[in-house]
Amino acid sequence: MEIKTSEYRIWVEDAVIHYEGTMRLSGTEAYQPIMAMMNDVLESQPEEITLDLVGLEFLNSSGINLLARFTIEVRKQKSIAIAVKGSTRIPWQSKSLPNLRKLHPSLQLNFV
Amino acid sequence: MRKQVGNTGIISTFTAGSLRLKLFAVPLGLAWKHCGVTSDFLGDFCSARAVRGSVDANEIRHNVCYLVNELLENAVKFRTSGDIVIETSLENGDFRLCIANTISKEGALRFQDVLSGLQGRDPSELLIERIERNAADPNSTGSGLGLLTLMSDYGVQLGWDFQASSDDEGTVQLATYAVLPMP
Repeated sequence: MEIKTSEYRIWVEDAVIHYEGTMRLSGTEAYQPIMAMMNDVLESQPEEITLDLVGLEFLNSSGINLLARFTIEVRKQKSIAIAVKGSTRIPWQSKSLPNLRKLHPSLQLNFV
Repeated sequence: MRKQVGNTGIISTFTAGSLRLKLFAVPLGLAWKHCGVTSDFLGDFCSARAVRGSVDANEIRHNVCYLVNELLENAVKFRTSGDIVIETSLENGDFRLCIANTISKEGALRFQDVLSGLQGRDPSELLIERIERNAADPNSTGSGLGLLTLMSDYGVQLGWDFQASSDDEGTVQLATYAVLPMP
C-alpha cells in the first residue's frame, strides 16, 4: 500500500506506516484516503502498529488531527499496541507528538 | 462596527517592521500552494539572523513556517474575495505577524463563535478536549484545532480585529495578529 505525490509519500510495510515529505492537505476530507489506508492496517489486527514519522518534515494541523483521530481508534482496540517514532531534528514532532500520549497513555513515543 | 477578540494588547502594539507581502486572489488550489511557498519563504527569511545550520535556525525556520502556514490556510479558506496582506516584524526576540483579509458577515459571526469557545481556558487542556470531541463526531471538521495547537504547542499569543466594511457589501475586514516567542 502506498500513496505518493511530489510532496509526500506514505507506505506500509507489515504493520509499520511510514511517512515522508511535507503534508499540507486542505482539511479532514483531503486526508481521508490516508486515514483509509491507516484504518486498513488497523483492521488487519496486528499486535502492534508503528507510525514512522522520522522523514515527515512538515504536517499541518489537519494532519496532526488525523494522527490524533487514529490514535483514538487504536485506543478502542485493547489488544493492539501503538508506537510512534519521531525525530528530535523536526520541531513540530517534539512539540505536538506528546499530545498523542495524553490521548492514549500506553502509546510508545520514541525519538531518534 | 468593530470587535476585537483574544489578546487585544498585541493588536494595539503591532507595527510592521520588516516585511509586507500581498497575495492576490487566485483559484483555491493555487492559493493553497501559495500558503506553503509563502510560509517556507518567511521561515527562511526570519531564520537568516541565526547561525546557518544551528539548532536555533532550524527551530526559528520551522516555528515561523508553521505559524504562517496555519493562519494563511485559514485566510485562504474563509476569505470571500480580494487580497491577503501579510505584515511581519521581529521585535524584542518575538516574531510578530498580522494577516489581513476580507470575510463575509456570516463567516465573521461563525468565527467569533469559534473563538469565544477558545478563550479563558488552558489551551493545552482545551486542545485535548476538542480532539476527543471531534473524534467522537464523524462530521466534525476540527474547527479551531489549528489555533489551539499554535497556542498550546508553540506558545503563540493571538488576537483578532473584525471591522465591518463601510460599503453595503456585507463584508468584514479581518486582521489576525500573532506573537511567536523566538528560541
